[in-house]
Amino acid sequence: MTRAGQREVVVCALADLPPGERREAEGAAGHGVTVFNVGGELHALLNHCPHRGGPLCRGRVGPLARSTRVGFWTFEREGEILRCPYHNWEFDLKTGRALYDDRLRARRYPVTVRGGQVTIHLSRPNRRFPAPK
Amino acid sequence: MGAVDTRPRPAGQTVRSRKVAPYLVDCDCHHLWHKIDEIFPYLPRQYVQEIKDFGSMFPLGGWTNMPNSHGYRIDHDVDETTDFAEFTIREHLDPYGFDAAILTGQMVYPVVGMTNLDYAAAICRAHNDWTLEHWAAKDERFRVVLAVGPNDPVQAVAEIERLGDHPAVVGVMLPAGGRHPYGNRVYHPIYAAAEQHGLTIMTHFGGEGRGQTNPPTAAGFPTYYLEMRMARPQIAQAHAVSLICEGVFEKFPGLTWVFVEVDTWWIPGMLDHFDADWKAVRDYTPWVRRLPSEYFRSHIRVGTQPMEQPRSREHLLSFLEHAHADEVLVYASDFPHWDWDAPTSVAPDFPASMRNRIFGETAREAFHL
Ligand code: FES
Repeated sequence: MTRAGQREVVVCALADLPPGERREAEGAAGHGVTVFNVGGELHALLNHCPHRGGPLCRGRVGPLARSTRVGFWTFEREGEILRCPYHNWEFDLKTGRALYDDRLRARRYPVTVRGGQVTIHLSRPNRRFPAPK
Repeated sequence: MGAVDTRPRPAGQTVRSRKVAPYLVDCDCHHLWHKIDEIFPYLPRQYVQEIKDFGSMFPLGGWTNMPNSHGYRIDHDVDETTDFAEFTIREHLDPYGFDAAILTGQMVYPVVGMTNLDYAAAICRAHNDWTLEHWAAKDERFRVVLAVGPNDPVQAVAEIERLGDHPAVVGVMLPAGGRHPYGNRVYHPIYAAAEQHGLTIMTHFGGEGRGQTNPPTAAGFPTYYLEMRMARPQIAQAHAVSLICEGVFEKFPGLTWVFVEVDTWWIPGMLDHFDADWKAVRDYTPWVRRLPSEYFRSHIRVGTQPMEQPRSREHLLSFLEHAHADEVLVYASDFPHWDWDAPTSVAPDFPASMRNRIFGETAREAFHL
């Protein structure tokens, strides 16, 4: 459990977070923050869905299903799409954005690896993907 | 907007401030078994043997992808040892502060499609006994709607006579799939018995297009799940219109009908059109003495879930007003399914003037709680 007001949280050793896996820092930023290893990149998201507040980060991770022709599927971006356990809406793990509602974005946090430890930074805004107001 | 705490609850802790209304009712709290074996103690020996030999041979729950095993969300921590009733109390009733939760089942909706009416009636009786013993007895907030087989009104009435006065029983479930629109007089003995015992009829989607029921849309069988979800309001509209045109609420003025999980967006448009056409052709059904919308507003209630999501708050407020939401809508969660609405997640949608009615007062009246 993360202490209230804590700015930096060590989540786990990088060795314990291989590609395709996730680790949650329970209670971080109130709702918990989960770090996903997406093909070697680390992305941290607040476990709170911007749709209706579901535990977003406990949802299923999978590919983006698309189609080029009626009745045929293609699967792209394997492991990059997170779907909320409530209502199944899909989110891009790399940006936090809801795929089909451009007003919604899950809050993201910067992640660093220091001395082999995965660390999330709760105080610093994420400049590349600022959290919604 | 009032001070509604929409934050998730810290694990294992009750936070009373999550209660969104002084009297809070969930009109669609599903209850289910792990395996049908759980109702064997309540089922006649011949059916137990038949299920052991061949399986339940139920038609599926509907053309709806309704889970036949369990419908818990993937973030729910359940396994084969979980006591679902206790889980529901711990994860749902307590944290949100519900005063009552209407148990809407789900495992027995297929009875509407069964041809073996005695088997259907036996399954319903067993389901009801099991519900009373394994759910209602554990927490008095759980309220029971009786499963009955609508295709055999005689046995349905007998079941209402058997259990209708049990203090936990508040209604009778007639799933949306069926052989006739529910205004049809073949069902009226069920309504007479329900009215006499002070029970409310509920219709949850389910059973459509399975076994001996009608296709899930008037155009025929849809292909995909998304299509089926869009078909639910069509079925509910057909039943609601039938109830009003066949004079059900004239014959049974004490009856209330609660639809759940059939969407709500259709209510304003349908009522306006229904009233307008009634003015033109009412003399062909003169027993429909009042405007159709008046019957709807006094006798029919509709669950909020899945809550409509217009693009703007302005559209939402205008919809709620147009739908007479303060009279007609009753909060429904659909717990434990993936497309559920937590009370805290939809509370901000309702203006303060409507909130207490939608979250509890209207349901309290409808179910005589
Ligand atoms: S709360 Fe996440 S999709 Fe609705």
